[in-house]
Amino acid sequence: MAVTDIPLVAMLKTRLHWHQTRQKLLAENVANADTPGFKPQDLRAPGSSGGAAGASAVAVARTDAGHLSLAPARAGEDAVQARRFDTTPSGNAVSLEDEMLKVAQNQADYQLAASLYQKSLALLRTAVGKR
Amino acid sequence: MDFLKTISVAASGLKVQNGRMRVIAENIANADSTADKPGADPYRRKLPTFGRRFDKELEAHVVELGRVRPDQTPFRTKYDPGHPAADQNGEVKLPNVNAVIETMDMREAQRSYEANLNLITATRRMIARTLEILRV
Repeated sequence: MAVTDIPLVAMLKTRLHWHQTRQKLLAENVANADTPGFKPQDLRAPGSSGGAAGASAVAVARTDAGHLSLAPARAGEDAVQARRFDTTPSGNAVSLEDEMLKVAQNQADYQLAASLYQKSLALLRTAVGKR
Repeated sequence: MDFLKTISVAASGLKVQNGRMRVIAENIANADSTADKPGADPYRRKLPTFGRRFDKELEAHVVELGRVRPDQTPFRTKYDPGHPAADQNGEVKLPNVNAVIETMDMREAQRSYEANLNLITATRRMIARTLEILRV
């Protein structure tokens, strides 16, 4: 059994991955802060994926490995969090202040998860008797 | 690694704002560039355009500088019969550059540039934190 199979470590790993993906989305938003017609995007918070599963209760059967799945290209996107009220005349809806706030929060949360990950590794190290 | 992709996306933003700054500098530098022949057109203000492109390698929408287009607003005129570019009525056409608009555009470009830089700094901290896991 690998260390990453331990539930706590696996959960933290997922969390770190989520923050990493979110950071990329936020980078897209900031880079396109002046692109006409661009709408900002955000990720759905982890653990609240119940809505998506309920929405597509009926799925197309994939009987062959070559079949394409009908899942959206960007599954897990949060349309509510990303919705903005101020849209410029060019159709751009990115608010730089908002995005900066999200980047800062994302960074802090990532660091928290990384610290917890480190601590759980230290816990394992204690368990195997090395100090 | 996903973080390096993040930095690449932010870098595309830096590049575009940099190009925009270049066009603005061109406009401001040529704010008084008149023609040298009677009735000819002076410098016409240039407008940068932005477009997004889906980068398959980065799996993200990066921003790109599109074609630089001329501003179609009419030229300002000034009565100056002695000027080499003056027409029969003594009017000289001046560039359609407005210093206030250019300054505002410059501020906006600066602000967007800083936002992208901020993002790179934040991402770099996250990378550093990840590497710290190794050090106990």
